[in-house]
Amino acid sequence: MAKREAPEINAGSMADIAFLLLIFFLVTTTMDKDLAYLRTIPKKVENPEPQDVQKKNIYKININSKQVIQARDSLIRPENIESLNGRIKHFYLINRDKKENRALDYPYYAFGTKAAFQQKLDIAYNGLDAYESKDVLTERDEKIIEQFNNEIQEWNKKIEMIELYTKFSGNKEMPEIALQAHIRLESFIKTDYSAYVAVQSEVEKAVTELRDEESEKLFNITYTAMKKYYQQNKLENTPKVREYRKYMDLIELLYPLRLIEVKPNR
Amino acid sequence: MSKFRKNDDKKAPGINTSSLPDIVFMLLFFFMVATTTKEIDPLVKVDPAQGVGLNDLTPFKQRSEVDFLYLGEPLSGDASKFDQGIAVQYDGIIHKDGIEHIGKWKNDKFSSKPEEFTAPKEEVITCFKADEKVPMGIIFQAREILQEENFNSIGYYAREKGNKNGYNIRQQ
Repeated sequence: MAKREAPEINAGSMADIAFLLLIFFLVTTTMDKDLAYLRTIPKKVENPEPQDVQKKNIYKININSKQVIQARDSLIRPENIESLNGRIKHFYLINRDKKENRALDYPYYAFGTKAAFQQKLDIAYNGLDAYESKDVLTERDEKIIEQFNNEIQEWNKKIEMIELYTKFSGNKEMPEIALQAHIRLESFIKTDYSAYVAVQSEVEKAVTELRDEESEKLFNITYTAMKKYYQQNKLENTPKVREYRKYMDLIELLYPLRLIEVKPNR
Repeated sequence: MSKFRKNDDKKAPGINTSSLPDIVFMLLFFFMVATTTKEIDPLVKVDPAQGVGLNDLTPFKQRSEVDFLYLGEPLSGDASKFDQGIAVQYDGIIHKDGIEHIGKWKNDKFSSKPEEFTAPKEEVITCFKADEKVPMGIIFQAREILQEENFNSIGYYAREKGNKNGYNIRQQ
């Protein structure tokens, strides 16, 4: 058979094609990532009951329409915003690990033990039994049963958390900030978005630094790193994702970010 | 004769361009990996606010768990037509109802998500890409509507400012 040589393909225009593709991608894409502060809006409640919150448990930040910030009793000019994160950390830390000689103006800490949580759980179980053994259930009874079920879930979660805490820290007691302690962020209708975001940034910075420090101590990995991994892989149900979720739950229990954003009316 | 005499007989040697496609492809792949697609052309002016410790939305974008809306002065046309001079852009258009339209927009977006989309309504993030001068009143109006419609996750868009620079806040 006569052997015919395959004709060579001219690759001279390859560069042109590649350039075309390159320019297409340059035009249709951007370099910068989208970054934001993630917050949740509380669920809507019909007829909310007014709650009595002690003054020491509130860290109130007010931003007026001239972007001047009032944090508790001190005025902060826009150029000194950076001092806010230290103040917020102070709010969290001053009474931590203190059982006496506590600063009166700041939230107190509770020191839960596993036995105490177990006792609360037993009470909830007993309450549930009393209601479930009834023959006729009214609508009100069903609501109470649901409440007990929620409580049981909550205490079980707490027990799981304190076991994790004890395992990693060796402490039998888990310090928890007062349940009511929160940061209350008030603004005016005319407050600039930039000032509002700056305050959000300081709050985020304070809480993240506290969490990272604690997380590093307990698990040798920062909270930020775990959160990043979790957000990327949360749909996959792997052991690592579940483990990180649990660790993050514990850190969030130790340093909760309870931020109430109040709707402005002036 | 000078040493720099032009030698007309010799031709300049041709440059070998056979590796040019490789170089260009390398550049191409770099840009494909390092960039993300642009969603839409903005119709409003957005100078983002600045902050630290921001959350990267890329994983949420990949799962299409985040919707962006843009707030700012319109790039063309009369700003005074809009409530407080701030136009609100949903996807490709500036809606005449301004922020009031957000509830309908979110519901339309949610119902048009693909079937394999599993995130519940409360976890679909609404991200406000707002100009730094946008008054907070508008954002809180939006928050109220979103609360009514049970879209409970929101994001405040900002740019990383770095630890050395100060916040850029308008002084009055």
